[in-house]
Amino acid sequence: MDPEVFIAGVGIITAIGNDVAECLCSFEKGLAGMADIAYIDTKHRHNIPVAEVKLSNNELAKIACISSAISRTTLLGLIAAKQALKDADIANLSSLRTGIISANTVGGMDKSEFFFKDFVANNSKGKLRNVFDHECGCVTEAIADQLGIKDFMTTISTACSSSANAIIYGARLIKNDLLDVVIAGGTDALTKFTLNGFNTLMILDKEYCKPFDENRQGLNMGEGAGYVVMVSSKVTKKMKKALYCNLSGYNNSNDAFHQTASSPDGTGSYLAMKGALEKSGLKPMDIDYINLHGTGTSNNDNTEGTAIKRLFDPDYPPMSSTKSFTGHTLGASGGIEAVFSVLAIRHGIIYPNLRFETQMHEFSFAPEKKILKDQTINHVMSNSFGFGGNCTSLIFSRI
Amino acid sequence: MDNLCKLGWLASEILLKDSFKKDNYRAQDIGLILSNANSSLDTDQKYMESVNDIPRSSLFVYTLPNIVTGEICIRNNFKGEDAFFLFDYFNAAFIENYVNNLLDNNVLQACICGWIELVGDEYKAVLFLVEKLKSKDAVAFTKEQMNKIFED
Repeated sequence: MDPEVFIAGVGIITAIGNDVAECLCSFEKGLAGMADIAYIDTKHRHNIPVAEVKLSNNELAKIACISSAISRTTLLGLIAAKQALKDADIANLSSLRTGIISANTVGGMDKSEFFFKDFVANNSKGKLRNVFDHECGCVTEAIADQLGIKDFMTTISTACSSSANAIIYGARLIKNDLLDVVIAGGTDALTKFTLNGFNTLMILDKEYCKPFDENRQGLNMGEGAGYVVMVSSKVTKKMKKALYCNLSGYNNSNDAFHQTASSPDGTGSYLAMKGALEKSGLKPMDIDYINLHGTGTSNNDNTEGTAIKRLFDPDYPPMSSTKSFTGHTLGASGGIEAVFSVLAIRHGIIYPNLRFETQMHEFSFAPEKKILKDQTINHVMSNSFGFGGNCTSLIFSRI
Repeated sequence: MDNLCKLGWLASEILLKDSFKKDNYRAQDIGLILSNANSSLDTDQKYMESVNDIPRSSLFVYTLPNIVTGEICIRNNFKGEDAFFLFDYFNAAFIENYVNNLLDNNVLQACICGWIELVGDEYKAVLFLVEKLKSKDAVAFTKEQMNKIFED
């Protein structure tokens, strides 16, 4: 039998909270993280709402106990990864083979943009020490260094499915007995590069996004980080704390349709969800909650919905897009939403899909509008679909 | 299509043009595991230049390394697992381990893997087609063979 992989710890920082407790509190109160741009320096301030983590780099650096001269992507990642390891509370971690698989899409680009402004005007200006951590791998290296992880580290960059793929890869390293403990997930900070880029694609909602609504206008950009700590069954025998759940299924498939848009029949997302179900040995009716990719763009929600219809019709489980709270955190979204999925099982909650009003005319189902509590949730599916047709589904199961 | 995608596209056309029998496989059983050192830097720079004037969406869509995997998938209707890894150098040991795992666990039945790197006028693409049944002229899928072919 395929060896099991267990979730032993979680860590998170998003626009709706700087840790697990704060995020859960925001869900309870229905408080979205979007607001007028307050931290990133851009001409889009007051025009486009974003979901920023409500702390300056200096404040983040204080929490992370590190210099504020490093990229915001690293600061966010370090805070969430530290939380996850602390939460897992694994005794004698140093005697176990431990790795980190961290995803991001922007690297230290926030610092590079800052450098670029002075440098372009005068190439003797700008401080090179501000751009030493530009590339994506530097973010993971810095986090691994701070956590003292030496056995294995790598960075995955497959757009918005990046950190879900990091979790798949981490699980495989445990299943193949190459590692005992893996911290997997991702981090991304808001940058001008991505904000301008998504703006040119004309898929940013000028209001707060409305995923899976008939009148949705696009996505809101967000930032944050989310990590899970995965352990082998051998490690669980020595653990005192209760495990959250296991990662029972996963799949990555390619939509093979378009560079950035998803196919009308949702082939990639359908194959990812179906493959994850097959891997877990579950039937569609076993799924108790779907954490949707649900960006709020016309294209995504239509194709994701079509794929869900193909797989689940006529019996749909409760579903929602937590991007209605956190915005779309790009390379971090798979990790952040994996944490939410794990917490849904632990606390028996189904998160609301904020601002949903009108059911999409194509479908006979709708996301949850209100938080549901005291639910029995055995299996949660978490979807992450990225540019390049890269589609990933994860399934977390109660143990 | 940006230059990195053109390079990957052309290299995959050459790789697959003669002996590959796509119809022997289901679309979801063919995947891609690619790598390079500089991600999509070539287009990242061009896109950043456009930001000074009008940011161009036609450039922005190529500012991710895995768009080239997407382009090859679109061209050939490959729907299996794909990933893009960044390494300072061509890490044949990693590729061998990763692809073998996908094939041994029947996640894939055939895999295209290797290196696609392009910055400015400098480029290098080395792709390998890995299948379970030995075809004529095939060599064993080992890091040593890959390194030898890569260096040649």
